Amino acid sequence: MAEVTSLIQVVVSGVLTGGVYAIVGIGLSLIFGVMRVVNFAPGEFLALGMYGALLLFTRFHLDPYLAIVVILPAAVLLGYMVEKVFIAPIAHAPEHSSILMTVGVGLVISNLLLFGFGAQPQSIYTAYSTSTLRLGAVTFSLPLTVSFFITVAAIAGLYAVLTRTEVGRAMRATAQNRDAAELVGVDTAQMRGLAFGIGIALAMLAGTLLLPVLYVIPTVGGVFTLKAFVVTVLAGMGNVLGAIGGGLILGVAESLGATYVSSGYRDAFGLIAFLLVLLFKPAGLFGRSRV
Amino acid sequence: MERAGRTLLAVLVVVAALALYPQLFPTRLNLGVAIVLFAAMATAWDVLGGWGGQLSLGHAALLGIGGYTMALLSLRLGVAPWWGMLAGVALAALFAAGWGWLVFRLRGPYFALSTIAVAEMLRLVAINWKRVTGGAEGLFIKTLPQPLGLNLFDRTVEFYLGLGLLGLTLLVAWWLSWSRFGYYLQAIREDQESAQAMGVNPTRYKILAFMLSAAFTAAGGALFALYVSFFEPHIIFDIGVSVELALIAYIGGAGTVFGPTIGAVLLLAAGDLFRNYFQQANLLIYGILIILIVRFAPEGVVGGWAFVVRRWPRARRPAAAPAE
Amino acid sequence: MRVRPMATMAVVVLLAALLPPPSAAAPEPVRIGVITSLTGRFATFGKMQMAGYDVALKEINGKGGVLGRPLELLIEDDASAVPAALSAAERLLAKGVPLILGTYSSGVSKPLAGYMERREMPLLVSGSADDSITKPGSPYVFRAKSVSSTYARTLFDLFDFLGGIQTIAILAGTGAFEQSVADAAEAFTKVRGYTLAAREAYDRGLTDFRPLLNRFRTLNADVVFMVSYEEDAVAIMRQAKEVNLNPKLFAGAAAGFAIEAFIKGAGDAAEWVFTATSWTPDVKYPGARGLYERLKAALGGGEPSYHAAEAYMALIVAADALNRAKSLDKKAIMSALAATNLMTPVGPVQFQNFAGFRNQNPIPMVVEQVQGGKFVTVFPAQIARGRPKPPPPPGTRG
Repeated sequence: MAEVTSLIQVVVSGVLTGGVYAIVGIGLSLIFGVMRVVNFAPGEFLALGMYGALLLFTRFHLDPYLAIVVILPAAVLLGYMVEKVFIAPIAHAPEHSSILMTVGVGLVISNLLLFGFGAQPQSIYTAYSTSTLRLGAVTFSLPLTVSFFITVAAIAGLYAVLTRTEVGRAMRATAQNRDAAELVGVDTAQMRGLAFGIGIALAMLAGTLLLPVLYVIPTVGGVFTLKAFVVTVLAGMGNVLGAIGGGLILGVAESLGATYVSSGYRDAFGLIAFLLVLLFKPAGLFGRSRV
Repeated sequence: MERAGRTLLAVLVVVAALALYPQLFPTRLNLGVAIVLFAAMATAWDVLGGWGGQLSLGHAALLGIGGYTMALLSLRLGVAPWWGMLAGVALAALFAAGWGWLVFRLRGPYFALSTIAVAEMLRLVAINWKRVTGGAEGLFIKTLPQPLGLNLFDRTVEFYLGLGLLGLTLLVAWWLSWSRFGYYLQAIREDQESAQAMGVNPTRYKILAFMLSAAFTAAGGALFALYVSFFEPHIIFDIGVSVELALIAYIGGAGTVFGPTIGAVLLLAAGDLFRNYFQQANLLIYGILIILIVRFAPEGVVGGWAFVVRRWPRARRPAAAPAE
Repeated sequence: MRVRPMATMAVVVLLAALLPPPSAAAPEPVRIGVITSLTGRFATFGKMQMAGYDVALKEINGKGGVLGRPLELLIEDDASAVPAALSAAERLLAKGVPLILGTYSSGVSKPLAGYMERREMPLLVSGSADDSITKPGSPYVFRAKSVSSTYARTLFDLFDFLGGIQTIAILAGTGAFEQSVADAAEAFTKVRGYTLAAREAYDRGLTDFRPLLNRFRTLNADVVFMVSYEEDAVAIMRQAKEVNLNPKLFAGAAAGFAIEAFIKGAGDAAEWVFTATSWTPDVKYPGARGLYERLKAALGGGEPSYHAAEAYMALIVAADALNRAKSLDKKAIMSALAATNLMTPVGPVQFQNFAGFRNQNPIPMVVEQVQGGKFVTVFPAQIARGRPKPPPPPGTRG
């Protein structure tokens, strides 16, 4: 019985962590789907989100969950501007130029954070930081559970925007066929800016949601960049819906692997899955490019 | 062919000029070794990244293969470091062949995405496969045989070994600048479809370029391991090293013969000179430079220089006249 | 060019005014080298070391310097990386210093020690704990601070002292320092007749320790022995509370557990945790409290860590050796270092060869415990002011 409880506990843990991977992965997928650009800096934007929430918490005593209201719109605007200033001008350059550009932007962000906040880890301690919910013998971290539901809500909201609104349809059209979209009057340049804005906002949202449970250092995002890559490849490049599944699969696989195989190789399980998918099913587990 | 001849002459001049470094700066040998090693590895990176247009942010994987193979063979089996280095070079080339086959078959940015992942994997293996690799505590190369009376821990010896490697990689880059192989690579970089239509097999050439790049990077890694004589998985498989190689090549001028060397000299020397002034700003400056380069001067410092030289006579003449 | 005498004169006078006066007025200072991590990932510790050096330098020069001359430090940044450290060492060699102190990270100190040995330059290791720096060591490398196996040894002494402990589960990061302490802990587990329940490693950047901690809970070990840096220490204790992991005691091996930020970050989850550390202001060495106050002032009111105290000790030891060497000859300095017999506020210093170590000070470490949201030094009894308190049984804890 204790074994079964432990197994359930491990899976729950993996699902909750997988939610964070999923949301960063969705951002990456959306950007790739619409822009055909790989953002190599989702982790840096995640760190930016964490520091933003940290600042709001320490200066204005704003709870990280409430800070989302401030951070999300600011993040969309920031992402939109980054796209317009740095990425749009090199839209016609080869693929590696845009990758390098995002690497450069990431370096600038993480080093500015280093200047502003220093290298020492910082964390906030809220009343609910170590609170748990109990369901039978299984415990759920309260902040991770709340974060998971916010993630689900954010994904549902994004899905509604993409499928139900004019802007969403225009964005999907841009992803499916840019030239055709332009022919029917879609402003694809705007759509690219917007997609980047939303992608960045999702990364920063993940950062905000992590703050109650995790320390922050300027390089905290590096791990998440790699996870986001794994998620997008598992899901199929540009497949936004698939990224949800990819994130959850990765979270659970890591959790199970770390517990029952080897904790030292924890990060390797995702990477092995990544290489296996490239080998046997390069289009991803859920097929590619569905926004 | 005349242009190729001039470039070859320039390669020889650059190597000869650098050969004077130990006489000119006898108290700054550590910096000199770092410069020639990073110049050599960045030039090797550029074979794939610049000439082939396949961005790698995981070359630390190959550097680590070179370093670990040389060190482990020497420490565990008593193999002389030069044979160990050759073994590392061969292993890295094979590894690149398999890795390249896996990702270059696919259309899309799979290679770039895979690079960080593969380097991470190797780091995890180096940490966890303790019995073989020595684990997280790293490897300490304490004593080495002395070929021809050369002390491999002597910085001057290391400098000339590194310079020799740089010379070889520069010759490879020079060969790429005029050979059919080089033209094919550039054609694939500029427009894969057209290259394919011309009958060039992109997968094959990318894999060959990757193997070449991997071999020289691993050789650099083996020398780097000698130079530091102690390394941990975190240090040698660090993504920071991978990014630095890419940035050195790009800032200097990707896909040019001398770009990576110029990048290494500029960035490492400046980093060393100004560390006390800029403190932590080093990487911030790298970031800003790379943004500016990608945005305004995709051919790096070398390209920018060529641009200035082309424009110079026209710009100068009217200004020069009144000064007579 | 037409020479203008007045202008030339003015320049000469100006230069003379700017240049330092001839040596008759103030004796030429004695310059020694310091390498530390001013930038990069260990900058926090570099800052601590600098505070320690500053306090020691003021004290030394306040007492008349060394060899009747003021002491001056030539400080070089190693940027927390090996190539920069080697380059820094070379610059110091070129400036002709007779002794170098450095640095923080073991990963940097090891190659630095190798390089110093080849260049025949005495090195006083000020912040790195890895055993292998002085084991087997070299005639040129000295270390006054404690080594990583002592972290484990001290905690096992505590376990023996407390009694009633049988099984031990080890959790350590994959860094060189964490793994070397974990290795020592595993060895002590066997030698001292305990049972190893599990040994797990986690990689840097890990954010979710819950699966691991859950497994530990099912193993029901008496001691959870942890070796982690700051960020992980906080995350582990928070999540241990979350998954309801309640061993008889939690033991942390310094690094992340021994700093104020741990208590601040982990909150009530930090309560009752034992941690080994090199130094606390509570130890009964003469001047410990005063040193703490001076270090705190040097940090502008910030909380000093043991790293600052160790850097202070290294410079005090260096000055003592220089005074006894009576010259700036490297050989003389090395023999003086080897003959050191000094009591400092950080602990006694004597460089010895023992158990495979060379030129290593066998300085004891201490154990502190978080009691009521504060660190209290509790072990060993002869230098501690407080007493170790076994945590209350699970369920009754706050």
